[in-house]
Amino acid sequence: MADLVWASMGELARLVATKAVSPVEIVNAHLDRIAALDGTLKAYITVMTDSARSAARNAEARVMAREDLGPLHGVPVGLKDLYCTKGVKTTGGSRILGDWVPTEDATVVTRLAAAGAITLGKLNMHEFAYGPEGLNVHYGTAWNPWDWAAHRICGGSSSGSGAAVAAGLCPGALGSDTGGSIRIPSALCGLTGLKPTYGRVSRAGVLPLAWSLDHVGPMCRSAVDCALMLGAMAGHDPRDPSTSALPVPDYRAALTGEVKGLRIGLLRRFFLETAGPPQRLAVEQAVKTLEGLGASVRDVSLEQMKYAAGVAAAVISVESYAYHEAWLKTRGPEYGPDVRERLLAGAFVSGADYLKGQRARRLIRDEVDQVLGDVDVLIAPTVPIAATEVGVSEVEVDGRRAPVRPSLIRYTRPFNASGHPAASVPCGFTADGLPIGIQVVGRSFDEATVLRVADAYQRVTDWHTRRPPLGA
Amino acid sequence: MAPGPRTMDRETLRALAQAQGLALSDADLDGLLPLVRAGRALIDELATAPLDEVEPTVLYHMR
Repeated sequence: MADLVWASMGELARLVATKAVSPVEIVNAHLDRIAALDGTLKAYITVMTDSARSAARNAEARVMAREDLGPLHGVPVGLKDLYCTKGVKTTGGSRILGDWVPTEDATVVTRLAAAGAITLGKLNMHEFAYGPEGLNVHYGTAWNPWDWAAHRICGGSSSGSGAAVAAGLCPGALGSDTGGSIRIPSALCGLTGLKPTYGRVSRAGVLPLAWSLDHVGPMCRSAVDCALMLGAMAGHDPRDPSTSALPVPDYRAALTGEVKGLRIGLLRRFFLETAGPPQRLAVEQAVKTLEGLGASVRDVSLEQMKYAAGVAAAVISVESYAYHEAWLKTRGPEYGPDVRERLLAGAFVSGADYLKGQRARRLIRDEVDQVLGDVDVLIAPTVPIAATEVGVSEVEVDGRRAPVRPSLIRYTRPFNASGHPAASVPCGFTADGLPIGIQVVGRSFDEATVLRVADAYQRVTDWHTRRPPLGA
Repeated sequence: MAPGPRTMDRETLRALAQAQGLALSDADLDGLLPLVRAGRALIDELATAPLDEVEPTVLYHMR
């Protein structure tokens, strides 16, 4: 059973398709592990035991009937608890929606089910996705499996997704990313996570934090599995007018392992030069590995990054306040104190300031486009620090005191503003055994190259295969 | 007349909140004030951005 919970999504699909293993065995193995570990880790808000077992039996019957099977047939997934699930509570990590049961699935939930995936449950998160630490006062904070005893954060807001995939409580999960919420927990939990291009994956049926910055994407243990999940989810959706009509390539087929001739732009200014020593060293080593595979590397810089914090302050605050305004006025005390304050702050940003933020976004996006005209991908650290213990608000980075919260989102939020695809890939560990991530950023709608780089790196390294010390 | 620096104190915040139908306690306002000031300081940094010819980002596709 232990092997099944550490198998990749691709391997599980193969085992099911060849009748080597039943989806029932796979689902039961994961449910058993959830029962054993999740009381401590708190990765799940809702475990869908009965419906997952029922779906597994149906999946097994389809295999035995020799029906056509989807690419994720019989493979379990976890969903961040802001994806609407018909007939199943969708809390957004909040007390306000603590008993809310949607009547429709989010489009991506429907698409994953159509590909054969089986939902194991709904995953913990920072309340309403408004926090990069992944804290939750209502359901308990999900602990980082790499040092759960010290109560280290997973990073957020997709904290439960990070904990669950890292701990073998599901092989892949959906996160969402408004300022880094897929990439930050992926980096801090040792996962591969992809924020696709804005418009590549439907947001219909996903509780918003900030409509114009929210991205939907996979968090897995490898680039191959991210490619499988993305392929099942991507594409135009009439329910989400921001989705692109561009065709969806075969992401799995794009993973050739080949990066010879690839041009990498290494982001030093604003990024690598401000990272902690272990993160800087690990990223530089990863870049050397890619050079060794035939890629060329040169330094590039993104000067408009200096506006990213201002853009986020203007845009996220106003859009999130607009969504929550009625609840803030009538049910304010039901929010966690940190999230309520952040949301209320949006009431004091003017319309002119909001549009200033939306205008400055264009400077960021145009510059990223311009730099990516000369290189194929950009590389930077994902996060400048490792997972901190809960309650720590400052850490020392290279002799300087750095506040945790802005540090967590510093390198990721520019690519929410620009909308470009960006992945976090495991590239090492600190001396304390905490994961480090490298960020790979690609051209708009070129997730295939981002995943190809990540996969090529994972073919010659083993960081992504290491497991947290959980005793099994 | 040259524009002065944007200021924000507890009473200004209270008035702005009341104008929007938000009933906030003194403790609420005291907690919010540093957050609002910090957000404004970040947004003020956008004043140096060359935005004269730049339209807002529009992400909704016409079809």
